[in-house]
Amino acid sequence: MLNRRIFVQTAVVAGIAAAASLAAPQGAWAANEKLRIGFVGVTSGPAAAWGISNVRSMQTRAAWINETGGVKIGDKTYDVEIVTFDDQKDPKRAIAGMEKMAQERIHYVVGPNVDDGAAAVRPVAEQNNIIYFPYAFPKSLYVKPASNAVLGMVANYQSGPAIYKYLQDKKGVKKVAFVCANESDPLSQRESGVAAAKALGLTVVSDNITYQVDTTDFTPVLTPVVRTQPDLLVLSGAAPANTPQLIRAARELGYKGLISAETAQDAAVIKEGAGDLANGFISVGGASTPEIATDAMREFVARYTKMFGEYNDESNTKVYALEYIFETLKANPKAIDNVEEFKKTMETLAAENIFMKGGAKLKYVGMTSFGQKRQVSVPMVVNEYRNGKFETLFIAEVD
Amino acid sequence: MEQIIANGLYLGAQYALIALGLTLIFALMNVLNFAHGQMYVIGGFVTYTVYAQLGLPFVVGVAASGVTLAIIGALVQKFLFGPVIRKSVREESTMLLAAGLAFLLDAVVLLLFGEKQRGVPKIVNGIFNYNDYTIVMPYDKILVGVLAILAIAAFILYMQYSKTGRAMRALAQDKVAAQLMGVDVDRYSIIGFALGAMLAGVVGGLLVTVTGINLGMGGPTSIKAFMMVMIGGAGVISGAIAGGFILGMLESVGLTVLAAYGDITYLVIFASLMVFLAIRPQGLMGKPWG
Amino acid sequence: MAVGAFLLTVFAVVPWLIHVSGRWDFYYTLTSVALLSIASGGVWLTFYIGRINIGQGAFALAGGYVSAILVTKYGFSFWVTIPLSGLFCALLAVLIGLPILRLRGVYFAMITLVLTEVARLAALALPITNGARGISSIPLPGELSIFGLTIIPDFSTIGNVKLAFYYLATVLMVVSFAGLYRLVNSRVGHLCRSLQQNEELASSIGVNIAYLRVIAFAISSFLGGISGAIFVAISRSIYPASFPVKDSVDFMLNCFLGGLGYVFGPMLGTLMIYFGWDLLFTTGRFQLLIYSAILIMLIVTLPNGILSLPLFNKREADK
Repeated sequence: MLNRRIFVQTAVVAGIAAAASLAAPQGAWAANEKLRIGFVGVTSGPAAAWGISNVRSMQTRAAWINETGGVKIGDKTYDVEIVTFDDQKDPKRAIAGMEKMAQERIHYVVGPNVDDGAAAVRPVAEQNNIIYFPYAFPKSLYVKPASNAVLGMVANYQSGPAIYKYLQDKKGVKKVAFVCANESDPLSQRESGVAAAKALGLTVVSDNITYQVDTTDFTPVLTPVVRTQPDLLVLSGAAPANTPQLIRAARELGYKGLISAETAQDAAVIKEGAGDLANGFISVGGASTPEIATDAMREFVARYTKMFGEYNDESNTKVYALEYIFETLKANPKAIDNVEEFKKTMETLAAENIFMKGGAKLKYVGMTSFGQKRQVSVPMVVNEYRNGKFETLFIAEVD
Repeated sequence: MEQIIANGLYLGAQYALIALGLTLIFALMNVLNFAHGQMYVIGGFVTYTVYAQLGLPFVVGVAASGVTLAIIGALVQKFLFGPVIRKSVREESTMLLAAGLAFLLDAVVLLLFGEKQRGVPKIVNGIFNYNDYTIVMPYDKILVGVLAILAIAAFILYMQYSKTGRAMRALAQDKVAAQLMGVDVDRYSIIGFALGAMLAGVVGGLLVTVTGINLGMGGPTSIKAFMMVMIGGAGVISGAIAGGFILGMLESVGLTVLAAYGDITYLVIFASLMVFLAIRPQGLMGKPWG
Repeated sequence: MAVGAFLLTVFAVVPWLIHVSGRWDFYYTLTSVALLSIASGGVWLTFYIGRINIGQGAFALAGGYVSAILVTKYGFSFWVTIPLSGLFCALLAVLIGLPILRLRGVYFAMITLVLTEVARLAALALPITNGARGISSIPLPGELSIFGLTIIPDFSTIGNVKLAFYYLATVLMVVSFAGLYRLVNSRVGHLCRSLQQNEELASSIGVNIAYLRVIAFAISSFLGGISGAIFVAISRSIYPASFPVKDSVDFMLNCFLGGLGYVFGPMLGTLMIYFGWDLLFTTGRFQLLIYSAILIMLIVTLPNGILSLPLFNKREADK
């Protein structure tokens, strides 16, 4: 009996050792040289949706490029490989992820997805010459002396004012109310949203109602907000999972005004969760709305859908980081393992945006917000939800 | 005020049903099932698949959720918790198993059902509006609330009057005595775990119509369920029900009363919960053995 | 003998292996393991007096904030803030512990779990913590000198900061566990074990159980605090969500996995849980599935922890 037990225990330990050795990195074989791009972000747990839409859009684009012969940088052609690390939304793990990227000699990394992770990986990225593209808004990441982070999307302090101004002019909005989750990212976004609204001369009627991210019924949360009778209800930093419930609760409480969010949302999720109640909901999206999508964008969506079974509208905003990395490298092949060259080219890059109609260029921006070019210029597409689809309301640019 | 109470009652009914399953498992085996929330999530996704994807009636969906989870629960008890409880020196060791199971179910949900928030078509349309917005409550919420209360009542009756229910109550009260009286501990542990898991599945199936479902809801749901169980008293069925309604009211009333304080609302709620537990260490009606 | 081998491994063999293999990323991973196992060691001590502690994240967060605030706002040297953050947490533990340590079993587990969430919300709400925006751009640890004699050089002048943090973390880990080992095998340790078995009995033979419990909880929180403080120095930033509920749960799981009956259990448990996740990173989207399946297999075969393997117990007996 005892022997059997020892045997079983040894077998388990051996099994784990085997699994661990299997997991060790293996050399890959391919005709082209590999260009490896990293991803450090959250792909499991409650916030998995943020990172998964990110990873999948990178994987879709990489597979597409490899299928069509690879990406040509200088006189070499590379196959793209995406190396992903799941940080479980834990800043401590995010550091480990960035260390892994340094170990794999990767110089260009997309992510992390949240403020604390992005701040935590900064020392590692700077020591190891890694340029990273966080989806986090704190200005300290992009303002000097920080220099290795490039904001991968439009920040809410950039999109917020544009949306409020538009609604103020076109829909006569005067009173605004803000609600957000009681976490770092949404709270910071609410703060800058309130400041922007006040700067425009709008009256902020409610700005201190928060909810726990695990809230399932938002009626109690929104009851006092709706009582203040705003014309516009802003869902600051709303996670895609919470948005439909928030919309539904507000409408069922008899709220008649406008609702907006400055984060990317998914039309299918809103449709399932709130249905027609969500008609007129305003949010920021990428470039897959029919009015502006190019054939390339449509092909991207088709390939994504084929690869993963279902498209996610959040991915529109996340397709760009990879494109920027490639275009910058193409413009300056020396940057392939030299981030200082990359930074130099960031000043001057102007490449074609294959995903959007209208001749917008891929270029780095951010002078107004950060005093240096540390943001990708993605179109700020403001959408309105209507019957299961997003329609473009207006398009703006960040400088 | 009427609105707040109505909100609280609705929340309470759903919370109580979640807490019931957890407390049953705890009462029988002293297992704090960290994976309870994940079981709830699976229940939600099963109903989503059956009702929204396959287009079968809603009732079939909820039944499928219950049956799926009952099977999972029975298997988990027979092959995982049972052996571990028998072999471990300190019974708290089951917490690691429960946490591992929670991770596993999270991974399975992600692979099977994806990362997106899911929702199903409304089961009933329309909003109940009493006295021009004094009380507003959508009909589907009212229906879910009533169904939850019916389920709670059915559960209590089952525990009170069926042979299985009596055996389980005996087990919960005194394991050794029950064993001496001829209660088959292994068998009833499996039935108990299956029943607890089934309750989680049924709530998941009911609530998917109102709140939708996503893979992130598991962990937080477990934690909320723990809190209710602690407020009411661990391992006591009436305690779980009381805890559920109290937490529901606390959230509803607390949010309104404390709304003026803004950001610290939840700080106050959680801090007062700690103070309550410190003053009354066994919850409202629990046994002090914990 | 075993101790010597262990010290040699930690301080010489591991750095040498990393140097030879070029896996520099393991420095950070192992530094984390060392720091997390210090915090887990604290949790283990509360297990030792028969309490399930799911609140260590709160103390790690508090320790981290104390260090960050003292360094950035009041210009303290980082080295001074290590003991200070530990002491702050110990004091906090005494204040909180006095009322809540009367609770037992799942009730204590629950109240400490709530404590972790309270800590996060407090960090969001208090003015001194800079709220949601957190504290970032914290400088690297400066020089530590006594009477002009440099004991530890300024980290920003060291070429290999990773190695420096590795040594800092492992030295602290060794000291902490040596302390724990000493404590457990002292008279107080035996009294603690009697608490674990039967508090009423211990009380009836004249053990001041309330005092013992608070001391154990304070030591536990001290360890949580210093581990948080050093983490902040590495990430050079702290946010309210830096040590969430998940961490508190992990600290507890580390103890279970290693084995509740063994002082060095938390160290091994942390290594398995944290390093295991890291090693599995190439498995992509199946990472969590494989990881949790292995975890479940381990606990089903070894419900009393990995150190309950006969292999290890023979060695324990030799000591």
